[in-house]
Amino acid sequence: MRLEKCWFCSSTVYPGHGIQFVRNDAKVFRFCRSKCHKNFKMKRNPRKVKWTKAYRRLHGKDMTQDSTFEFERKRNRPERYDRNLAENTLKAIKKIDKVREDRAAGHHTLRMKGKKAKKQREEAKELEQGITLVKAPSVLQEEPSLTLPKIKVKVSHQESQENRAMEE
Amino acid sequence: MVQYNFKKITVVPNATDFINIILSRTQRQTPTVVHKGYAISRLRQFYMRKVKYTQQNFHDKLSTIIEEFPRLDDIHPFYGDLLHVLYNKDHYKLALGAINTARNQIGKVAKDYVKLLKYGDSLYRCKSLKVAALGRMCTLVKKLSGSLAYLEQIRQHMARLPSIDPNTRTLLICGYPNVGKSSFMNKITRADVDVQPYAFTTKSLFVGHTDYKYLRYQVIDTPGILDRPFEDRNIIEMCSITALAHLRSAVLFFLDISGSCGYSIAQQAALFHSIKSLFMNKPLMIVCNKTDLQPLEGLSEGDMKLVMEMKAEAMKTVIGQGGEATDDEGVLLTMSTLTEDGVMAVKNAACGRLLNQRVEIKMKSKKINDCLNRFHVAIPKPRDQKERPSCIPQAVLEARAQQAAEKEKRKTERDLEDENGGAGVYSASLKKNYILANEEWKEDILPEILDGHNVADFIDPDILMRLEELEREEGMHQVEDDEDFEMDGKDLTPEEQEALAAIRKKKSMLIQQHRVKKSTAESRPTVPRKFDKSREFTAKRMGRQLSSLGLDPSLAIERARSRSRGRKRERSPERGDAMDVDTDESNKKLRLRSRSRSRSMSRPPTEFVPGAGFKDSEQKVKAIKLAKKSVKKRNKNARRGEADRVIPTLKPKHLFSGKRSIGKTDRR
Repeated sequence: MRLEKCWFCSSTVYPGHGIQFVRNDAKVFRFCRSKCHKNFKMKRNPRKVKWTKAYRRLHGKDMTQDSTFEFERKRNRPERYDRNLAENTLKAIKKIDKVREDRAAGHHTLRMKGKKAKKQREEAKELEQGITLVKAPSVLQEEPSLTLPKIKVKVSHQESQENRAMEE
Repeated sequence: MVQYNFKKITVVPNATDFINIILSRTQRQTPTVVHKGYAISRLRQFYMRKVKYTQQNFHDKLSTIIEEFPRLDDIHPFYGDLLHVLYNKDHYKLALGAINTARNQIGKVAKDYVKLLKYGDSLYRCKSLKVAALGRMCTLVKKLSGSLAYLEQIRQHMARLPSIDPNTRTLLICGYPNVGKSSFMNKITRADVDVQPYAFTTKSLFVGHTDYKYLRYQVIDTPGILDRPFEDRNIIEMCSITALAHLRSAVLFFLDISGSCGYSIAQQAALFHSIKSLFMNKPLMIVCNKTDLQPLEGLSEGDMKLVMEMKAEAMKTVIGQGGEATDDEGVLLTMSTLTEDGVMAVKNAACGRLLNQRVEIKMKSKKINDCLNRFHVAIPKPRDQKERPSCIPQAVLEARAQQAAEKEKRKTERDLEDENGGAGVYSASLKKNYILANEEWKEDILPEILDGHNVADFIDPDILMRLEELEREEGMHQVEDDEDFEMDGKDLTPEEQEALAAIRKKKSMLIQQHRVKKSTAESRPTVPRKFDKSREFTAKRMGRQLSSLGLDPSLAIERARSRSRGRKRERSPERGDAMDVDTDESNKKLRLRSRSRSRSMSRPPTEFVPGAGFKDSEQKVKAIKLAKKSVKKRNKNARRGEADRVIPTLKPKHLFSGKRSIGKTDRR
C-alpha cells in the first residue's frame, strides 16, 4: 500500500481514491479526483493552473528547495527490519514534518513582507470611495471624518402617545 | 486415428437448405446473362454448363457426406458396436445408402438432360430443359430429407462421444448401479462425473485420464449393469457391455459390501458370474467399496463365501496370464471412496497389473524382435575376482540418513494448518522464518502510512544523524529570526475599520440582491413599484435607511405619509397621527402575522394519494410540473389568472407612431 501523488495537483492519493491512467507508452498518470482527471483530459498544463502545487512552486508561492524534502525519497531496496530503526523513523517523521511546516510558514511570511503598505493603501482608497454607501454626503460635509455616522435616535411624540394608550 | 475424427465430420444440411445452397451457388458462379439473339451453340453451352455445374456440386457434397461418416465395418469393433448400440447399424446403413443412390440418380438425370440439351433448338426450349433438370435433381434431394435429418442428429451425437482410444492402456470400471464407480473415477482422475444417490446417474461412458509410472492410463466409467438376460438390456447397459467386450483393458469389478446401493452381495455375485465370460484375457480385480460402512471382515458367512468365489474366478485370470499364482494381493482389494482409504492402492494395483500384462504380451509378440535389437545392456567382463562395490562418501550417506529421518518427523505447514482448525480458521504465519537481528522482532507490525507519508520512504540507516543536522540548522535559523515588523503608521483606526467593514458588507449585500434578482428574473413579475406586493417600500423602511446614513428622516417620512394618505386625512390632523399610526401599524402587524403563520408539517404536494386522480407519484409530479409551467408566463406578466387579460396601454405609442428604419409603415 502506497500513497501516491496526483499527477495534476500533487496532492496525495489515498488507497481507494482516484483514477490511474496508463498511456500507450507505459507512463502511468495518477489522479486524486475527477477534477484533476478532467483537467488532464482537457490537456491543461498543471504549471499554468493556479491551484496546483506545480504552479505554486514554479511561481515561488511555495517552498521549492529544502533539505527536509530529501528525507522522503522512494527507495527501491528494502531494508532489513530493525525495531530501533523503525521507532526512530516514526519519531523522525513527525519532527521532520514540523520542521518543514515551520519553514514553509517562514517562507510565506517572507513572501508577504512588504505587502502591508500596499494593503493599507488599498483599504484607505476603498474607504474613501465607498464612504458614501454608509454616510450621506451632506453628513460627510459636516463631519468629514471617514467613520460611520452617528444615528439620531428620534424619540417621537407618537411613541409617547402610544405608551399613554397602553397605560390606560 | 480415424476413430477420433468423429468431431471433424462436416455439418449435414437439411434438404431445403441443401437445395438452396446448391442452387444459389449455381446462380452465382455461372454466367447469368443470355439473350435470344445469341448463337444456338452458345445458348446450349450456357444451359448445359448450369446443369453440369449443379450436378457436380450435388455430387461433391453428397460424396463428402458419404465419405466422412465412418463405415461401421472399417472402424475398430468397439466403436462399431458402440455406434450400433446407439444408432442401430441398419438405419445408419440405410441412410447412407439412400444418399448414395440419390447421388447416382442425380448423375443420371444430369447426363440425360445434357444429351437432350445438345439438340435444343431455341432459347426457350433449352431453358425449359434446364429447369426440368434442376427440378428433378432437387426433387431427388427433397426425398432425402429424412435421411439427412437423421444423419445430422447422428453426427451431433457422435461428436460428443468420449474420445476413447481402444488400443492404449485402459482401466474399465464396472459393477451394479450406485456402488461407487463414478466416485472412484472422480478421485483418481480429473473427470467431473455426476455422483448422485439414485441409480443410473451415469448414462453413458465417461473417460478420464490418470498417470502411473510416467504413463498415461485411460479410465472408463460405465453405467451400471443389472443382472438381466442379454436380450432385455437397454441401450445404456449395452454401452457398458460393448466396452467390456471390445476394449482390451484391466477390469475393476466394483462390489458394494455394505449393500447401501440397494442390491445384496448375492445379486452382485450373480451379475459377476453372468458376465464373467467377458473378462477373458483381461486382468480382473474385485474391488470392495464402501468399507467405511461395512468392513470386509465383518461380512456374514454366506457373503464371505460369495466374495471368495469371485476372488477365485479373478485368480484364474491372473494364472491365465502366467503371473505368479500365489499373488492374491492384487486380486481382491478393499477401499472407501468417501474416506479415500485405499483408493490409491487400488489404482496402483490395477495399473501395475495391466502394465505387466501388456509388457508380457508385447514380449511374446513378433514385433518385439524388431525392437529387441535396440535394447542392449552392456555389462563389462570382470577382469578379476576382486569385489568393487560403489563408493559413496560418508558425508553423503549421513546426509541421506538425515534426510530420511527429517522427512519422517518434519512437520509440514499443512499439518500445522490441519491441527489448528483447517483452512478457514488458521492462517499461516508468514513471518515465522524471517532472519532478523533479534528474534523478538518477528511479529512486529510496522505501519506503512503515517501522517500522509509512506514510512518506507523515510527508512534510512543514517536517519538519526541527518535528523540531528536538521535540528541544528533549525536552531540556527530561529536565532536569526527577529525581523523588524514593518510598522507603518498608516493603520486604520478602529472606527475607520468599522466603516470599512460596513462598506464591504453593504457592497456584498448589493451583490447578493442583484444575484437573487437575476436568478428569479424568469419567474418574478415585472411590476412598477406602486404595485409592490411584498410591501417592502414603506415609509418606515425609508426612515431606517436614511437614519443609518446619518440623516434625519422625520421630514421625509411626514412628506411621504402626507402624499400617500390623500386629502381626507389632511382635514383632521388633530385626530393625531397616533391613531392612524396605530391602525397602520396594527394592520401591518396583522398582515405580517397572517402571512408568517406557518403550518405544521402537511402532506408534501408531490405525495401520491390513492384515489385522488393520479396513477402514481411520477404522474402527479409531472402534472404539477405542467401546471406550474402554464402559470409561469402569466406570473411574469403579473396577471391574476387566465381571465386577467387587461392591457394597460391599448395604444402604445411606439407601435402607432414613428418612422421605421427598415420596413413599411402602411400596416400597423
